[in-house]
Amino acid sequence: MSGLTRVSGSFLREQVRAPLNVVLLIAIPVFFVLIFASVLGEFAAALGGDLAEQAATSISAGWAAAFLCGTLAFFALASSRGADRRLALAGLGAWRVVLSRITASLLLGVIVSLVAYLTLLLRSGVEHPLHAAAAIFAFAAIYTGIGALIGALVRDPLSGSLLVVLIFSLDIFSGPAMTSNASLANFTPTRPASNLLIAAGGGQGSPSGDWIGAFGIAAAGIAIALAAFWLTARKRA
Amino acid sequence: MSDSKDAPGIAAADLSACGGVDHEGGVPARRRVLRAVDIEKSFHRGIPPFRRSIPVLKRASIEIHAGELVGLVGENGSGKSTLMQIVVGLLKRDDGLIERPGRLGYCPQVPMVWDKLTIAEHFELFAQAYGLGREVAKQSEESLLEELQFTRYRDFRVEELSGGTRQKLNLALALMHDPELLLLDEPYAGFDWETYLRFWEMSERRREEGMGILIVSHLLAEQERLTRVYSLVDGKATST
Repeated sequence: MSGLTRVSGSFLREQVRAPLNVVLLIAIPVFFVLIFASVLGEFAAALGGDLAEQAATSISAGWAAAFLCGTLAFFALASSRGADRRLALAGLGAWRVVLSRITASLLLGVIVSLVAYLTLLLRSGVEHPLHAAAAIFAFAAIYTGIGALIGALVRDPLSGSLLVVLIFSLDIFSGPAMTSNASLANFTPTRPASNLLIAAGGGQGSPSGDWIGAFGIAAAGIAIALAAFWLTARKRA
Repeated sequence: MSDSKDAPGIAAADLSACGGVDHEGGVPARRRVLRAVDIEKSFHRGIPPFRRSIPVLKRASIEIHAGELVGLVGENGSGKSTLMQIVVGLLKRDDGLIERPGRLGYCPQVPMVWDKLTIAEHFELFAQAYGLGREVAKQSEESLLEELQFTRYRDFRVEELSGGTRQKLNLALALMHDPELLLLDEPYAGFDWETYLRFWEMSERRREEGMGILIVSHLLAEQERLTRVYSLVDGKATST
């Protein structure tokens, strides 16, 4: 087993070892897809949006992946800041710590996306399964970046977790078809991924602009996570 | 060893790459393992125009040779941990020169470990970081577990350990690659009396083997064991 694999494996184990975390990895997607989706539809109607039931169910799988990956990335960074820096200074080097952290976070993103995807598949079925899987993973990657960035910049766990939830809430309620004011949706990080997921759930294809947008923002999310991990692990002298 | 003064922010010199043997009056002296000269550090709080600077270190200098057990004392907030973190590379200095060996062990005041990983997994990760081979790492792990008497907790997660056992792990991780320079920041916090005595015996044994050791504490009761003590007052370190 290579050094990078061994360190990434330790970082991944660190995150999934808490029994409650494992329960939440399953419970949160189930809650979002089965319960939150219908609430989301009602909110959309109240805000003047026209989010259909099928679309709300599909997009909820993406929100589940986003919520889990955002909070897990935040707490991974907030709780391991000192230990990661010590390991880097001991000789592993900041970049190897960063690569191990991003590998562990993306593996976790894949697991979370898979659970959310399977929940969606069991709940309502998906017309374009590959499109939906890609869109859900884009949600996970974008929020891995957001959570890691907040973890690097905000030291207090309570303030940081509240900030993750605030950004998540603003993102949800200004998403596509959520309000009568469509211009708000143009500025949310998950807009192209949401469009892909809504279209995939309804059996429609998506324009290339949404694909490019979703992958571009997901790649930016991963790049931001890399930068956040590096900010934490780097040497200060 | 280079005595040129590097610019702030430039990595400290690696003593192992510079020879590092001093000669005083023609008699070979012990190899210098740490030289920190005129270290300055201020912390900045608040946002402009309400920003204020708090100077902590004002041209503080310390020096340690192989086989020395040196103390660094000072009141709370005097800058002891700040100086140590600058030496290690956890904090950036504003000015000054640092020369230190490549093989350095650091035991932070608060254990920097992962709560969900076991003691064995910590040894594995740090063996990887120090570049130790499988056999050397295993031997080092077993000997430190035995020496600090916490072998039975090897497969326990950190979150399941008492404060004292966490501190033993914290110390063991700094020692496992047999460093040339060992930096200990309040290393015996949480130790019981037996472990406290064992800690000093371990430190003295390593000093006799040629390790340079710096112990930071607000209170050093075992001064007779130390080669010398630096006192950090008003940002300056004076040797006694």
